[in-house]
Amino acid sequence: MKFIKDHIMFILPLVAILLGIEFFLVFDRMTASYEQRLRDGYSMLVVSKEPMTLQELQSINSNIGKSTKIEKNEILKEVSLGQNPQDTQEILNALPNFYIIKLAKYLDTSALDNLEKDLMASKKIKRVETFGNSYSSNYKLFSFIKFILKVFIIFMSVVSLFLVIKQMEVWGYVHRERMQVMEIFGAPIMLRSGILFKVAIVDALISTSIIVLFFLYLKYQLAGISEVDALMNNSELLFQPSDAFILLACAIVIVIISVYIVVFSSREKEA
Amino acid sequence: MANVVIQASDLTLAYNNGKNEIIKNANFSIKKGEFVFITGPSGSGKSTLLKSFYGHIKPTHGSLMVGGLDLAKISNSKLQELRTHMGIVFQDYKLVNEWTVAKNVVLPLMIAGYSIDMQHTQAQRLLRHVKLSEYANMYPYELSGGEQQRVGIARALAKNPMLILADEPTGNLDEYSSNVIWDLMENACQQLETTVVVVTHRIPTVFSLQYRHFIIENKGVYEVH
Repeated sequence: MKFIKDHIMFILPLVAILLGIEFFLVFDRMTASYEQRLRDGYSMLVVSKEPMTLQELQSINSNIGKSTKIEKNEILKEVSLGQNPQDTQEILNALPNFYIIKLAKYLDTSALDNLEKDLMASKKIKRVETFGNSYSSNYKLFSFIKFILKVFIIFMSVVSLFLVIKQMEVWGYVHRERMQVMEIFGAPIMLRSGILFKVAIVDALISTSIIVLFFLYLKYQLAGISEVDALMNNSELLFQPSDAFILLACAIVIVIISVYIVVFSSREKEA
Repeated sequence: MANVVIQASDLTLAYNNGKNEIIKNANFSIKKGEFVFITGPSGSGKSTLLKSFYGHIKPTHGSLMVGGLDLAKISNSKLQELRTHMGIVFQDYKLVNEWTVAKNVVLPLMIAGYSIDMQHTQAQRLLRHVKLSEYANMYPYELSGGEQQRVGIARALAKNPMLILADEPTGNLDEYSSNVIWDLMENACQQLETTVVVVTHRIPTVFSLQYRHFIIENKGVYEVH
């Protein structure tokens, strides 16, 4: 019973830390995917006096990813019905060039303002329409959710770390006498702490398995029946095989540091 | 000199970064196979001196050679190696309570990397020697003080050490148990030619004139003739 209690008291905070790490990984993928969708769905309009190539636009600001020219004929098609062809040609000649601009990456609102300023500074460009208001509201909401989640994850990890340290103190107390006796009789550090390493590595494997199984269940079972669009459409982002290795590596690093703290704090000291 | 196991020259031991001197400028030597008592009033530094023999406390001045190694300059790995040639007996036994008696006894063999079979054979031999064969699978907390100290002595003898250091080994025991402990240590010294250094506040009468005796007074270590 005591053995199980000792393990659970270490596994639980470790699971909480790994849960925080996995949430962070999932959230990172989710936000990257969401940013891409925002970026793909967003475009700005640039009006120039002379025709401009993509290279010219990119030389003004490298955040421009793609430009599509709106053909003047398309613009006039609706309004020129019944017009004299000569008049139509004159209008065509007088019309500036219209470009739909797509971004190379997701920008915050100040970077978007800078992009607008850079474009307006060009003598060839007459007007830029960023549709900044809708972009800004999307971006702010997104930033807020991102901030709240990160604060939550950090808070959870810090609290869990304190629990791990607390449990390490218990381990230190439990194993101190044995390790000190072994040290007095000349046992090397690996022999003194061997049992602790074994227990800690087993705990790390158990904790990692719990998180991996939970997220696999989330990905293959819960996401499908959740009726939550964000989960159903992004279930492939919920867990990836590389996460298991990242979690295991993190768990092992945490337990090795924990064991070393216990081992060094239990070393015999000169009175 | 080859026969000298412990050699102290101007040995000074202190706590608090040298501020609190316990032993000052002590000079003595102990040879292979000798049985030596160190006595002195409470707080005189008997245990401190004994701890310095196994490197728990380093000399602040002078030199202390044990088994040919200078403990003032010894590295951690060399100290570990040196300790595997020592058997240490404590007043409070220092047995590992979550291990069986047999496992406690073979700790020095475990450290030396002996096979499980060898450890098992040696545990039986050692426990027979201290008359505790039937206690092999019990735990230290199930034994009396005298029995626990016999386990401590069996552990100290496990690897036929060159040196046994005992800190008040009979301090917590009744007269009968004390006599058993003294017999075991005397036998180790006589039969195995192990050097035995015992710190005690009172030498058993039967030994008083038989063996070398150092006394600690006013930070000095003096031999009583």
